[in-house]
Amino acid sequence: MLNQFVEALKKVGGQVAEVADVGEAAAYIAAHVTGAVLLPAQPSLQRAGLVAALEADGVALVKDSWREQGPAASAGVTGANFALADTGTLVLDSTAEALRLTTTLPERHFALLDPGKILADSLAAVPYLRGFHERAPRNYLAYITGPSRTADIERVLTIGVHGPRELHVLLMPGLSSNFYEL
Amino acid sequence: MSRERNRNYRQRVDQALASPRLQNALHTFGDAYVVARQNAFAGLDFEAMRTEIASMKDDVRERRQELVAEFTRNAEAAGAKVFLARTAEDANRYIVELAARQGVKKVVKSKSMASEETHLNLALEAAGLETLETDLGEWIIQLAGQRPSHMVMPAIHMFRDEVAELFSKVTGQKESDDIPHLVQVAREQLRQSYLEADMGISGANMAIAETGGIALVTNEGNARLATTLPKVHVALVGLEKLVPTLEDATNILRVLPRNATGQLLTSYITWIRGAVPCGDTDKELHIVLLDNGRSALAESPQCRDALRCIKCGACANVCPVYQTVGGHVFGHIYISAIGVILTAFFHGLENAADLVKACIGCRACVAVCPSAIDLEGIILHLREVLGEEEGIGAGKALVFKHIMRNRKLFHSMIRAASMLQKPVTRGERSIRHLPLFFSSLTEWRTLPAIAEKPLRDSWKTMPQKVKKPRYRVAFFAGCLNDFVYPEMGSDLVKVLNHLDVEVTFPKEQNCCGVPALYSGDRETAVALAEQNIAAMLADKPDFVVTTCPTCTMSLQRDFLELLKDNPVWAEKARQLADITIDVSRFIVDKLDGKAVFADTAGGEKVTYHDSCHLKRGAGVWEQPRQLLAGSGHDLVEMAHSDRCCGFGGSYSFTSHPDIAKHILNDKVNDIEETGASCVAMDCPGCIMQIRGGLEKQEKQVRAKHTIELLAEHLK
Repeated sequence: MLNQFVEALKKVGGQVAEVADVGEAAAYIAAHVTGAVLLPAQPSLQRAGLVAALEADGVALVKDSWREQGPAASAGVTGANFALADTGTLVLDSTAEALRLTTTLPERHFALLDPGKILADSLAAVPYLRGFHERAPRNYLAYITGPSRTADIERVLTIGVHGPRELHVLLMPGLSSNFYEL
Repeated sequence: MSRERNRNYRQRVDQALASPRLQNALHTFGDAYVVARQNAFAGLDFEAMRTEIASMKDDVRERRQELVAEFTRNAEAAGAKVFLARTAEDANRYIVELAARQGVKKVVKSKSMASEETHLNLALEAAGLETLETDLGEWIIQLAGQRPSHMVMPAIHMFRDEVAELFSKVTGQKESDDIPHLVQVAREQLRQSYLEADMGISGANMAIAETGGIALVTNEGNARLATTLPKVHVALVGLEKLVPTLEDATNILRVLPRNATGQLLTSYITWIRGAVPCGDTDKELHIVLLDNGRSALAESPQCRDALRCIKCGACANVCPVYQTVGGHVFGHIYISAIGVILTAFFHGLENAADLVKACIGCRACVAVCPSAIDLEGIILHLREVLGEEEGIGAGKALVFKHIMRNRKLFHSMIRAASMLQKPVTRGERSIRHLPLFFSSLTEWRTLPAIAEKPLRDSWKTMPQKVKKPRYRVAFFAGCLNDFVYPEMGSDLVKVLNHLDVEVTFPKEQNCCGVPALYSGDRETAVALAEQNIAAMLADKPDFVVTTCPTCTMSLQRDFLELLKDNPVWAEKARQLADITIDVSRFIVDKLDGKAVFADTAGGEKVTYHDSCHLKRGAGVWEQPRQLLAGSGHDLVEMAHSDRCCGFGGSYSFTSHPDIAKHILNDKVNDIEETGASCVAMDCPGCIMQIRGGLEKQEKQVRAKHTIELLAEHLK
C-alpha cells in the first residue's frame, strides 16, 4: 500500500521523500523554504522534537498569531492523521483554525506521515471519519490530494491556484501509530 | 409559445453555430473527457456503482422529511443554524437579512450552482454588499457579466485572450494571455478578499444526515479559505444533496470526481460540521437548505429520478447538441439533459420549452449518468406535458391526429405523394435539390424519393421457398422501410429465407407512433400502439423482426408504457415486446447465423455506425459487427462510432436542422477518416441522414443497412 500511495500522490503532482528521523525531516524542509514556516502544535511533531530540529537548521518558525503572520509565510508544516493509498490522499483533522491556515495560506505544505498509517481507500476511512465525529462536538476534516489545481481556463491544467502550489509528504516511520492524532 | 422567447433562443443558436472556436473547444474536451473517464473507472464496476447511488438517492427521496429532520437535529447540536428555504426568494432574503444583522460589508463566494439558481448575487448586490466570486471560472464569468455555461467548468466557453482582457481591467495593466500567469493574477487579486470578507458563502456537494455536516468537493483551495477566514459561513445546499450516512457520502466521492473530470479524487474534500473555531471565537455557520421546486419534482412519478443527480456535468460532456452549441444555448442555469429537467421545475416550464425540444434523443447522457437517470425518457415526458400546455402545432396535430391514425388514409396519401414527387425526383432515387422554399431541406443532405411501389404492395410478388422453416416471423417494417427503402425489406426476406426462416408482412401494421409520441401527442401514440399490436400478433408469429431500432424501442418499450393502465392491452403489449427483436441480433443470437455468411463478401473496407436507439436503446452493437467481420468485410472502426448522426426524427427537418447539419458533418468526417468505401448501420433513419450527407458532399462512400450488405453477396 505504501508503493500505491506514493505512486498515486506523485501522479497528482505531490512530492514524496523518505526521512529516517526528525533531523532529516528538518533538513528537507529547510532546503525547500525561503521564509517563515507556520508550525502549529501537534502531538506527533512535539514528541519528535521538530521545533528544535527546524530551529537548529535556521528555519524561522511561526507558532501563533496565525491570521496575522499566515499570509506572508513561506510554508506550513503539519503531521497527518492517516492517508489513503488508492488516491494518494492525506487526511487531516483541521478543526483547530491554525491547521487550516497552515495548510491553505502558504505556497508550500509539508506533511509528515508515518507510513504505517496508510489505509487502502476511502471506504476504509469511514470508521475513522465516524470516530472523529463522535469524539468532538464540531469538525473540519480535510482530505488533501496533491497541491491545489485548476483547468478553468481552456481546460489547461495549472498547479497552484488559491491553495498551496507544492505538497511535500515526508514519510517518517515511528512518528505515530494513532490515527486520531496529528 | 412565447414568440419573443423563441426568437431570442434562435438568435443564440445562430450565434453559437457561428463560433467554430467554441465548437472545437467543446469537441476536444468531449474527446479528452471520454478517455480520462475511462481511465478513472478502470478496474471499477460503473454499472454497480451507479445502481447503488440510484437506490440510495431514491431512498433519500422517499424518506426526505425524516432525513431533513435528522440532519437539522445533528447540525444544530453541533452549533450550526439550519434554515429550510421554500423558494429562491426565501433563501436570498434569509442570507441578505443575516448579512445585515451581522454588519457584513464584503462577501466572498466559493462555487455554488444553487446560488446561481437563486440569482443570489443579484440580491446581495441589490442590498449593497460587495460580492466576490473566488472560484477561478466563476470569477471570470462574474467579471464578464455572464452566467456559467457548464456546471463544473463555468468558463469553458471563454478563451485566454478574453480572460486576459478581463483581468487587465482589474489590474489596470496589460496582462499576458499566458495561462499560468493568468492563474497567478487571480491568486494575487483574490487573496486579500478572503482576509477582508465578513461572510463566506459556499455550496455543498453533500449534506450528511448522520452527522449534520456538509462535504465540499473542490480543487482550487478557495472554498477552504472562504469557509475559514470570514466570521460567518453560509452554505446554500439543494435538498437533493442529502445523503443518509458517511458510507453513502463515500460512495458518492468514489464516483463524482471520476465522472465529472476523470480525477480519482479532487485536491480537497472538506467535511464541515457545526460551529468550528474562528479567530478568538466560533464560526457562525448557517446552512440554508433549498427547496425551490425540489418537492414538486419529488411528487412527479415520471420526473422525480432527476433528484438523484449529483451534479457531475457528464451529461453535457457527451452531448452532441451541447458540443455543437454550448451551455448558453442548451441550458438556462443548469445545462444539458439534467438542465432541461431542472429548469422545468426550478425555473418554470416556460423557460424549459425551447430546451425540451433541443434534445436530439441520442441517449449518450443516459449511458454516463452516475445515478442511472433515464434523462431522455424524462425529457420526452416533458415534451408530452408541453404538448398539452402549449399544443403540438397545427401541422403536426393534423398529421398525427387526423391522418396517421387512419392507416388507409395515411398510406394512400404517401402513395399519392410518390406520384406527385416525380417532377422533383425526375425518376431518380435521390432528390438533390428541392425547389423554392423547400430548398433549405436539401441544402446539406440529399433526400430519398418515396418508392414507386411500397414494400407492402410488392410483398406478395416476393417468392419465399422455405422448405422446413425453423421459424415463422412477422416483419414490422416501419414507415421508412415500407415507403422509402422497400429494397431493405426484400433483402431481409432473401437473407432470412437463406437461414430457413419464413417471413410474413401483416398488412394492418401502421406507423409505430414514435413521431407522434416524441412530439408530445400521447393519444395518437396509444391508438397506433393498439393498431400495431393487433396486427402483429394476429397470426401468432414466433418473432417480430425489425430493421429500424426506433420501431424496436417503440414495440419493446413505448407500447408497454402507453398501455400499462389497460389490463387487456397491457398483456398483449407484453406479448409483443417479448418477441420483438432487431434483425441483426436475431440472426446472430437466435439463428446462430454468423458462420452462414462466412467469406461471402470480397474484403471491402467497411466501417460501422452505431445508431443511438440500437446501441443505447436495444443494447445491440456487437452482433452487426460480428456479421460484417464474419462475412469477409474488412471492418474498421471510426472515431465516435456511437455518436449520433444528427437525424433525430423531425429534429433534422423542422425542429433544429441547423444543429443537425453540424452533427452530421462531424459524422461524415469521422467516416472519411477511416478510408472505408462503405459505412454500415442498422437504422433506415441514419441511412437517410448519412447517405444524404455523403451524397450531398459527393463522397465516394456508400451507406448501407447491414441486412443489405448480407444480401449483396448471397447467390
